[in-house]
Amino acid sequence: MRFTAKTAFLFVLPALSLYVAFVVYPALRGVALSLTDAQGVVGGGFVGLQNYQEAIGDPAVLAALRNTLVFTVFVVVVQNALGLGLAYWMQRQPRVRAIARAGTLLPAMMALVTVGYVWSFIYSPLDGPLNSLLGILGLSGFQHVWLGDSSTALIALAVTIVWMYCGYTATIYLSGYLSIPASIFEAAQMDGASGWARFRRIDWPLLAPALTVNLTLTVIGSLRVFDPVLVMTQGGPGNATQSLSYLVYKNSFQNLRFGYASTIAVLLLALTVLVAFVQTSILRRREVSW
Amino acid sequence: MIGVRRPMRKTRNAVSSTLLLLVTGVILLPVFLMLLDSVRSNADVASHPIGMPASFQWQNYVAVFNQMGYLNSLKNSVVVTASSVALVVGAGSAASWAIARYTRRWANAAYRLFIAGLTIPVFVLTTPLYLLVQELGLLDKLVAVILIYAAFHLPFAVFFYVSFLRSVPEELEQAAAVDGCGPFMTYWHVILPMLKPATATMSIFVALSIWNDVVIPLLFLSSDNTKTVTLSVYSFIGTQGGIQPSQLFPSVVLATVPLFVVFLILQRHIVAGIAAGIGK
Repeated sequence: MRFTAKTAFLFVLPALSLYVAFVVYPALRGVALSLTDAQGVVGGGFVGLQNYQEAIGDPAVLAALRNTLVFTVFVVVVQNALGLGLAYWMQRQPRVRAIARAGTLLPAMMALVTVGYVWSFIYSPLDGPLNSLLGILGLSGFQHVWLGDSSTALIALAVTIVWMYCGYTATIYLSGYLSIPASIFEAAQMDGASGWARFRRIDWPLLAPALTVNLTLTVIGSLRVFDPVLVMTQGGPGNATQSLSYLVYKNSFQNLRFGYASTIAVLLLALTVLVAFVQTSILRRREVSW
Repeated sequence: MIGVRRPMRKTRNAVSSTLLLLVTGVILLPVFLMLLDSVRSNADVASHPIGMPASFQWQNYVAVFNQMGYLNSLKNSVVVTASSVALVVGAGSAASWAIARYTRRWANAAYRLFIAGLTIPVFVLTTPLYLLVQELGLLDKLVAVILIYAAFHLPFAVFFYVSFLRSVPEELEQAAAVDGCGPFMTYWHVILPMLKPATATMSIFVALSIWNDVVIPLLFLSSDNTKTVTLSVYSFIGTQGGIQPSQLFPSVVLATVPLFVVFLILQRHIVAGIAAGIGK
């Protein structure tokens, strides 16, 4: 099929106009908006970088940045460790593999909102299921107001996310495992490599593509976390679970500070682009070097 | 030596398999809790936070079903999801075909513009989008939500379709051209059928992501008769204080059941899609 310029353009046009109208144009308008003091739909005046100056001194923004870092590191490390462990286990037990994979994947099919409500209930302070379980196990010393205590709230949210997506991560690692030819494992066995040595020298390097996919998904997802914050903590207690996405929501749709909210949105975009760039270059180099 | 080790390995595998099933069960405990507590009374849950229902309170569902306007929100979710997916598939496949085969500079630039949208967090766009939708007079209209979802998922569709099209030879299309098929006929009779497997996988993931999203409905839909299922769960539970387990769990289950059913039916496609590294 030889496209003429005109037909090619006709075919691209519907998608391009939709995309420009609802993604490209709002993105540019958001940058412009971040330089104004717009309140709600009332157009604001140009204020230069004033919003940015306010943002870098805003305790909520600083807390959100810190929380994003802690949350991302926790989710990335724990979810990948659990997912990899599960995948390793499933790969070795083919008879129960399908059912284990389907079972662990089930939570990832739920909406974040509903998962948030279920876990809010699990964490509830008085006789919540988690505290009752600790009591039954004789661990009542560990009972806690999980979401109401600023030292545990953020990790409680992270655990919720890890619970929801560890089967997803495991599925990706498992498919990595299943794509490794059996002859490689057999050769390793003949050479006497087993256990940790085999994992470190053979499994781990061969799982590099799966690791890239998983790290990308977990990091990008963690940077923009919103639903669990909205449903479980509203950023509190204090700013303990504040996230950049939630701050954009709060500033624009509760405080109607559209200008300032757009500033935080631009910061969120900058952070995402930076992290994606760093991640891609590091992971790509790693995959090549093996 | 080998004769001794074989049965041992067999037992060890049996134990390991059983343990793996057990761990899967432990991971699913919150799901069991959600299902069981949805048919318990509040007093029952309060006196035994972990336990089986003393009696099955099916009326929990009847009450919630009506209070959250389940059927209406289900209808809205279906309309929004189906229309957005149709738009993404139609516009996305047409654009991708042209981009994959017409390799001039502007087509490449359009491709890059789409790809740049792959990782934009939704909250980067929400505030200006609100202004735009308000100016278009589309607040609280399903069509606004449909257009936004379609636009948001186009980068993914273009990325997916273009890499698929680049991996298949052009011969079929050229044969169609030789037979006198114009571009629109070729698109309809050759390209769309050829893209079917890619379309199936992509549609499932786009549909799941739209169905489960609360952000866009939360910001752009406000009245009861436009709410989607996910939004109606949020506004039913999240915006009234002192919610009871007998209301919380049935509404959560009602929102989740369609997804579990879809998962059971399409499990193979979903697992294959995740394995291929498709975003969540």
